[in-house]
Amino acid sequence: MSAKVEIDFTLNGVREQRAVAADMSALAMLRDVVGLTGTKYGCGEGECGACTIRVDGVTLNACLMFAVDCDGREVTTIEGLAATPPGEKLRASFVEHGAVQCGFCTPGLVMQASHLIEKNPGAGEEEIRRGIEGNLCRCTGYRKIIEAIAGAK
Amino acid sequence: MSGIERYAAPRTLEEAAELLSAGGATVFAGGTDVMPQANAGRLRFQKTLLNIGRIAELRGIGESNGVVRIGALTTITELLESPLVRGRFRALWQSCDHFASDQIRNAATLGGNLCNASPAGDTLVPLLVLDAQVVLAGKPNGTLATRRLPLAGFLTGPGRTLRAAHELLTAVEIALPPAGFDSEYFKFGTRPALDIAAISIGLGAVREGRVLRDVRVAFGAVAPTPVRAPRVEAALEGRIADDAAIDAALEAAADEIHPISDIRASDWYRREMVRNMLQRMLCDVREG
Amino acid sequence: MGEAQKTVARETLIGKRIPKMDAPEKASGRTRYLHDIDLPGQLHAKILRSTQVHALIKSIDTGAAKRLPGVHAVITAADVPWQRPIGVAKDHLPLKTGRVRSLRDEVAAVAADSVEIAAAALALIRVEYEPLPPLTDPVEALQPGAPLIHPEPHGGDGGPQLKPGAPVAYTGKPDNVAMTFEYAQGDVAQGERESDAVVEDVFRLHYVTHCCMGVSGVIAEFDASGNLLLHSNTQVPFLHKREFAEMLGIDPGRVRIIQPPIGGGFGSKLDIYPFEPIAIFLARATGRPVKLVYTREEEFEASPTRQPVLLKLRSGCTRDGALTFRAVETLHDNGAYTSWGATTPFVMMQTVSSLYRLPHCKYRTRAVYTNNPYAGSFRGYGNLQATFAVEAHMDRLADAIGMDPLEFRLKNAQQPGEVTPQGMHFGTCGFKECLSTAAARSAYQRKRLEHASRQGDASPLKRGVGIASMLHVGGGAKIYPSDGCGTILKIDDFAHVTLITGASEIGQGSETVLAQLVCEELGLPLSSVTVVNNDTDITPWDVGVHASRTTFIAGNSAIGAAKKAKDKILAAAAAKSGRASGDLQLSGGFVVTPEGEKLFELGKFLRSLHFSDKADLVMTTFYYEPPSHHQDREFKGDVSAAYAWASQVAEVEVDTRTGIVKLLSITAAHDVGRVLNRLGIEGQIEGGVVMGQGYALTENLIVEGGAVKNPSFRDYKLVTAPEIPEMDISFIETMDGEGPQGAKGVGEAPAICVAAAVANAIHNATGVRITSLPFTPERVYRALRGKLEAPVWNVPA
Repeated sequence: MSAKVEIDFTLNGVREQRAVAADMSALAMLRDVVGLTGTKYGCGEGECGACTIRVDGVTLNACLMFAVDCDGREVTTIEGLAATPPGEKLRASFVEHGAVQCGFCTPGLVMQASHLIEKNPGAGEEEIRRGIEGNLCRCTGYRKIIEAIAGAK
Repeated sequence: MSGIERYAAPRTLEEAAELLSAGGATVFAGGTDVMPQANAGRLRFQKTLLNIGRIAELRGIGESNGVVRIGALTTITELLESPLVRGRFRALWQSCDHFASDQIRNAATLGGNLCNASPAGDTLVPLLVLDAQVVLAGKPNGTLATRRLPLAGFLTGPGRTLRAAHELLTAVEIALPPAGFDSEYFKFGTRPALDIAAISIGLGAVREGRVLRDVRVAFGAVAPTPVRAPRVEAALEGRIADDAAIDAALEAAADEIHPISDIRASDWYRREMVRNMLQRMLCDVREG
Repeated sequence: MGEAQKTVARETLIGKRIPKMDAPEKASGRTRYLHDIDLPGQLHAKILRSTQVHALIKSIDTGAAKRLPGVHAVITAADVPWQRPIGVAKDHLPLKTGRVRSLRDEVAAVAADSVEIAAAALALIRVEYEPLPPLTDPVEALQPGAPLIHPEPHGGDGGPQLKPGAPVAYTGKPDNVAMTFEYAQGDVAQGERESDAVVEDVFRLHYVTHCCMGVSGVIAEFDASGNLLLHSNTQVPFLHKREFAEMLGIDPGRVRIIQPPIGGGFGSKLDIYPFEPIAIFLARATGRPVKLVYTREEEFEASPTRQPVLLKLRSGCTRDGALTFRAVETLHDNGAYTSWGATTPFVMMQTVSSLYRLPHCKYRTRAVYTNNPYAGSFRGYGNLQATFAVEAHMDRLADAIGMDPLEFRLKNAQQPGEVTPQGMHFGTCGFKECLSTAAARSAYQRKRLEHASRQGDASPLKRGVGIASMLHVGGGAKIYPSDGCGTILKIDDFAHVTLITGASEIGQGSETVLAQLVCEELGLPLSSVTVVNNDTDITPWDVGVHASRTTFIAGNSAIGAAKKAKDKILAAAAAKSGRASGDLQLSGGFVVTPEGEKLFELGKFLRSLHFSDKADLVMTTFYYEPPSHHQDREFKGDVSAAYAWASQVAEVEVDTRTGIVKLLSITAAHDVGRVLNRLGIEGQIEGGVVMGQGYALTENLIVEGGAVKNPSFRDYKLVTAPEIPEMDISFIETMDGEGPQGAKGVGEAPAICVAAAVANAIHNATGVRITSLPFTPERVYRALRGKLEAPVWNVPA
């Protein structure tokens, strides 16, 4: 068994204190310890982006991050983003543009899109495509996702 | 069940070195190599899990006395956003631009990429071209000691470096190249993002008119480590990149690379790509 | 009240862009997929798979695993002697007894308090194997003396005996042939005699896999009375309900399947795979709910693949450009157990015999057992493979007689009303329009000549265009006793509609299009409808989501129920208003006159019906069975109520220095009958095109020695956003008479001819024809230098 570590961090704007196994990923912590299932397991090796979260303002793959490394940091998941105006704007755009089919990749894409738009509000087609190159989608062919992100700027 | 007994996230290099000198520690920064390797069973956690990501001394990009120091914790994104890197170390900047995905670039560190020492490691090839040095720090005998090694010697095999178990890689130092120096990085993989290079090439030189001086050439994914190619460099040194020089360079390259066949590419194809892409880069140099 | 308020303009929903009903929840991260469901008291299961490609199981020691704290059950075949074989040919026992036949074979399974404990328990299970000679080449499988993969009845290898009296459907084979298919129309010898040009090639189509973003999983639990509840992403809940019941020896009425939102299907969930029965066995053994979820690596290693095919095609035509014959023989690697992949010939022979007008055709498939992974159903279901070959030959034949490839295709393209020798009746057929539209919009003819003229020039970048078409069922496929779908519809006192449909939703937007069709009938907004489609205790029977059938069949079913409801309402409204019911309509939430004048607000009217002496509620049902036919023993018959067509032009840029093929654009024209939800159908086409792009250019499941060598996204390359082509999509609306509002099915169509078009484009760019997939850079580079081995037909007769 791995040692348990007490961590203290901000999750979706709320201060949280949790005990997590030292070798646990941030993804497992969010899903199994905290119970927020919006962040998805797609591959567990940082290749698909389904587990994209924001930590201290930048997006990263929760499956590659140690849960203990959340200590002292600000973490935002899709649940947190969805409750904010930028999240609502993205949601509306994804819905309106038909960018959601099975929806499994959608939380990761919405998270990545929010970071992309915030960092580069004038992002054009090429920059959007490159910006989501770390997110895999098997249903939509990406076209409408790109349009949804462009429409949410 | 990993058997980790203790977790530490020191805030100073001194503390981290102290913990490391006790032995039995697995170090991580961004986690982008350690976590998947542990999940795949290729890495077994030691008793101490040591998070070095909070050590302020390992951050920052700065220049002093003609030497640029890049802290080991500098993320790939931070390298991409640095005007200094983009302006003076173009090949390094280009390698960061092709590095995995935004999510991984935001977490992956330069130090991690170096210590992971992949034969295909993206930043390693341009750093070899730039004659980078690695800075290592540790407490072998109770006091913090620092040493510098050229990157070329530091990498000893796939996943292996000269870093001792009690040492941390704290920074990369690159002397500002001479005026008129430019560098280029080419990566060939079979997909723009998220791929592990089938081959990569770094090229650097000073241009005196059309003559190339101080030529540096490095290859990735064609040997157990990324390597400099002294014979290719010699074939180009002091010459104009005309057809004869390019042919000589390509011939030298064929001798200096030892690619393997794996599921990503065959050795034959890697050789062909090194030749074709080196030729293309050199023709671009000639034209530009 | 002014004029405008008295009347309601009748605005149609058909053809509009209608957002998917569950998209807001999905984009908020609130949707709970199977992976997100945790039941109280649930245990976690993991499967121990074989470490041998082919071996006898000498012993399995589970003692240490059972003793691990937190382990509730460890089972092997010995613990479930009553288990019955599953799968298309019923040759597949969930827990293996006696021998393992592939690396994915399930040998034991654990249920424990956590996934970590279950994984640790797996490591404690000791299995002793006695290796057998591996058979990983399907050609070898046909040689005399080849190891037999299924030589004896299950239980006859010295392993645990099946329960006495339990019927065993499967009794082994004298050789390795799992299935054979033969089809003929006309006389190919005569066809060849009549030909002025004959071409022959061998094609090799490779392993790819579905890569649904949500991995496979299931949750099984029994209630106190022994009723089974499965949370499953099956695409065929009613078929599986019956199969699970048979497997467990319980009354099918006591099996309930709930389908959580799915993380992708694409045909991967049309068969029962061992992990589901295994979870059920563990639930029975422990008395607790059992959740079993794959890792991504397991998903690559253990999920069904697309069917790999070695295909020999010989085709001919006259010098005037009339197709004469096609003779096809294929070797299908069946893998260790039979799943839907072996039955892809049903679809392949349709394309071979009927894509373009063809008098003479002969088709033969042998599916042979090996120790390789087995293939299942995957969007297109053999049609990608068949079209790849057929469309290569359309270009080759045109070239042989010196005819423009578009003209050649137009000359042989079928027209509405034609009946093929296989018995398929093309009621609506926009084939020619598809060809002409795709060609015109892509400037195909001009570009083809321009690019060909540049083949020899100095530039290392070569562009090319290629065209390919496809034919697929678009009105269901009558392969089961019924190809129908049931609907129950109720309208409540507030004019809110509950549409209860047997049709599952797998991300393609079926719930939205069904709601749209109902709203069109009832003159209500989309917000008035709730769709219930995911519980076999509630929904009426539907055969399942496959064959691109859902919009057509479930759509007609929903319309039928809605029409009955409308008729009932209008009859009552007529009685109340004294007008003829034929005069009245439903529009904008009102009962209206032909002029659009509002008579009754619908909710109020429904309440008046409810709270009257007659207490009349509006609840209707409808079962739609399409007017198609089962094929006869010779595979002839009009198996679908409608057929879909498409033509696509691919433009590529080949970098001859690297072999990288960039897909610049796909210009697609699809005969969809009628566009219903414009947003949804565009999404299907775009997604299907990119899936086809992956099949052609980037995806390759590398299977060597029976092992999957690249079980990760790191080395199995899905197309990413920067790589997608420009997509120009045209819809040809042929208004199918049987289709709901004229629509035909489209789910599989867009993926089917991409690879074929790309192959033709690469030939236009470089002069090189590559007859095997994928067109990855190294393979293309080799082909350009004459160093790529062409597939060889070395199959014993």
